[in-house]
Amino acid sequence: MLVWSRPGRIVIWLVFTLLFGVLFLAPLAVILLSSLADQWNGVLPSGLTTEHYSDVVQGAAWKAVKASLVTGFLASAVALVSGTWAALALRIQDATLARVLGVLFFIPSAVPSVSVGLGLLVAFSHPPLLLNGTIAIVMVAHFVLISAFTFGNVSAGLARLSPDFEQVASSLGARPAYRLRHVTLPLLAPYLVAAFGLSFALSMGELGATVMVYPPGWVTLPVSIFSLTDRGDVFAGAALTMVLVAVTLILLLGLERVTGRQARS
Amino acid sequence: MADAAVLPAPAAKRVPGRFWIVPPAALLALLFFYPLVLIVQQAFMDDSGMANVGEFVRVLHARFFLNALINTITISVTATAGCLIVGLVLGLILAFVPFPGSGVIARLIDTFIALPTFLVTLAFTFLYGSAGMLNAGLTEAFSLQAPPVNFLYSTWGVVLAEVTVYSPFVLRPLLAAFSLVDRGQIEAASVLGARPFRIVRQVILPAAVPALIAGGSLCLLLTVNEFGIVLFIGAKGVITLPLLIYSKAIQESAYQVACIIAVINIALSLGLFGLYRFAAGRLGA
Amino acid sequence: MSVPAFTGSNVMDVDAAKIRGAGSNVHFDKVSVAYGAHVVLHPLTLDIAPGEILAMIGPSGSGKTTALRAVAGFVRPASGRIRIGATDVTDLPPYERGLGMVVQNYALFPHMRVEDNVAFGLRAQGADKALIGERVKDSLATVGMSGFAKRYPRELSGGQQQRVAIARALAVRPRVLLLDEPLSALDAQIRRNMVEEIAKLHRDLPGLTILYVTHDQTEALTLADKIAIMRDGRVSSHGPTVELYRLPPNRFTAEFLGRANLLPVTVTEGATGPKGFATARLGDALLAGAARGEKPGDKTLLCIRPQHLSLTGDEEHTNRIVGTLKEVHWQGELTHLVLEVDGTPVRVSATRLPVSLPERGSAVPLFFTPGDTSLVPEDVRG
Repeated sequence: MLVWSRPGRIVIWLVFTLLFGVLFLAPLAVILLSSLADQWNGVLPSGLTTEHYSDVVQGAAWKAVKASLVTGFLASAVALVSGTWAALALRIQDATLARVLGVLFFIPSAVPSVSVGLGLLVAFSHPPLLLNGTIAIVMVAHFVLISAFTFGNVSAGLARLSPDFEQVASSLGARPAYRLRHVTLPLLAPYLVAAFGLSFALSMGELGATVMVYPPGWVTLPVSIFSLTDRGDVFAGAALTMVLVAVTLILLLGLERVTGRQARS
Repeated sequence: MADAAVLPAPAAKRVPGRFWIVPPAALLALLFFYPLVLIVQQAFMDDSGMANVGEFVRVLHARFFLNALINTITISVTATAGCLIVGLVLGLILAFVPFPGSGVIARLIDTFIALPTFLVTLAFTFLYGSAGMLNAGLTEAFSLQAPPVNFLYSTWGVVLAEVTVYSPFVLRPLLAAFSLVDRGQIEAASVLGARPFRIVRQVILPAAVPALIAGGSLCLLLTVNEFGIVLFIGAKGVITLPLLIYSKAIQESAYQVACIIAVINIALSLGLFGLYRFAAGRLGA
Repeated sequence: MSVPAFTGSNVMDVDAAKIRGAGSNVHFDKVSVAYGAHVVLHPLTLDIAPGEILAMIGPSGSGKTTALRAVAGFVRPASGRIRIGATDVTDLPPYERGLGMVVQNYALFPHMRVEDNVAFGLRAQGADKALIGERVKDSLATVGMSGFAKRYPRELSGGQQQRVAIARALAVRPRVLLLDEPLSALDAQIRRNMVEEIAKLHRDLPGLTILYVTHDQTEALTLADKIAIMRDGRVSSHGPTVELYRLPPNRFTAEFLGRANLLPVTVTEGATGPKGFATARLGDALLAGAARGEKPGDKTLLCIRPQHLSLTGDEEHTNRIVGTLKEVHWQGELTHLVLEVDGTPVRVSATRLPVSLPERGSAVPLFFTPGDTSLVPEDVRG
């Protein structure tokens, strides 16, 4: 509607194609291509193979997928509970305190992930809170980093929820716990699902804190991709990256379907 | 607003709910704020546990630190400027010169927010690396001895990667702001003979300023904190604060130095976070 | 300390209400509400009798919704007490007040079927299954929605959703039904039907006490036994509907409840005769109207509704004023005329017109009977 002439539009679309192609499409395409590359010394790979993917299914790479999925699931689940809890509990504080606490719950998203990892190392390397060297410290790091996102998503959902629903429920005799279980949480469900999906995706790609704290034997996907490429095994790294992208996209799309269905119902 | 404030306190005396905030707050305090405090404590204490700013001052003046600080700020500011330009151009086209499939494209760009940042760096090494597609093509075509394209292993490589990764963070609020621009206003301006440039400047941009400020300050924050991209490029000359913290702590086991750098990095980030909250607050987001 | 006692009496009171099938009275005792320093409701004292429909009407920001929310328990009074029946509910949370509430946007729970929405209150209170089934059936039948039990709210029209919302409120056998602008979101035609439906509902459940908040005077006039007109956080007037319309106690009430012509007059003679009409002077004309104890010499307003003015009549009529015809708007069943009488615009809604309509600018006599007029004091704004 802004540019009416046909040539003008075509020029603009060419600019768009170029920007989009160079910045977004080319990286995804080239990762996909290299994950299938046999040898790559010229402009294009000399041959294609699925060898890197079959490697993923066996051995160390599969363990990385598992570590990432388990970490992502547990950290997201805990973050979902604590974020929802915090968002709900903040509503019954007085306004000033709620505002201050709201900012505090958001701060983990502002602190560099490497520093979060460093802090955990400093704090939890001695008894009685000895987490360093355990799987738990990875979970904790991921939980801290994604907690602000779940809190933010659920808070946004609560803010959009008409107070009428809860008030009518109360007037009909529903006590707070009953109201929470049968009215508030079901109405929040789309936001909870979206929050869970986004935090899972963020956890899957987390590198900075993980690389600081991970114990031997619990190597997540990004860490394992880094060590592969660092060793020069770039094709295997690319294949693992594609697995990571695929898992993330499946998660996001799957959750979108769920929330879409709920929004319609 | 009044309703929201009134709802939770029907009969204040009988609501014990104020204490429900304690469990999640305590969890966050233990797992996040307590370690944060320890970082600060370590930064200002010597081995014997006495308060000592000597080491802090020494790190502050060290060349490796100053280089990293300058790198971090240069990369962050340049990348943010790039994100704003790319985000604005893409946003204007997607919103006002749409084409078949532009909705799908917008969604695709949006999913980049959820993808790991180092993916782009990895892709760039295949594209622009010394043995990448571009260099291979150019060397073959012109029979060169050495690869002609070297920018990837400089700050420019990091900047380009960060622009790709973070421009969706500008695009998202921008598209939301554009969707509120009155189409009738644009059509009226067109009918009155205003050129596209003029419409963009006088009608669209003013509506987009809050989104640009919010998106831009978020980009500043995220690029200052970015770790994966810099680590994956692994260029010797490109060390940023997060990377320096990592290498001091993990590779050199110099925890106190790492803590000192972390304190400065965190202070910088929190300042930018404040800026972002302020901008987003003005925006009403 | 006193809380358990309140709870106990509350439960008993609900049981009693169930047995009698009657509602409770609602009593506001000097109830005020403030947000910080901003007072939205000045001390309000008001009683709603059992089985009465009280309509609170007024412009937005007049405090009517705040008063309703104070009864519901969503707004805590800064001072004063609220009693429902014998129970002081001021300190009770909403869920212990035994009310039913219907709001403007229905607020049906979108994730529940119609029958589950209606059953919600009873389930929340832990009623047994048989009772719930029976009540859901009854309530849906009362609002004519029996065939929709298995539907989801999104599959219903606005009017149907509002019926379900009313059924949901009725299912708990509330002591008081609170209706907060219940019809504002509906189209004009459906709104008219719903007003009649609610009137019928109250004929079927005569014991039900209803507090009906609206800004629509037609709804209030059609439904309410009594009306409270709110203005700036205060009750401007309160009384039986017909009386408030016929003898408005002040200018605001006269103008808010229906349309009114208010002519400034000077009283020449206080109330006389068996009907108690006073005589007042407007320009050269001497007019009679229902008095409120005015004394000769008082300056006041003479209220005449537009539909009570007639262009046709005989000179025998007691009341006759002459105005200059300014505008004529023919609207089919009614013709609206605007005249100017002694500098004051006067509206006339006429069903019958003289055979030849006078020209604009000409002097036209208007006739009305004293029984249709009243003297209304000018507002004293505080």
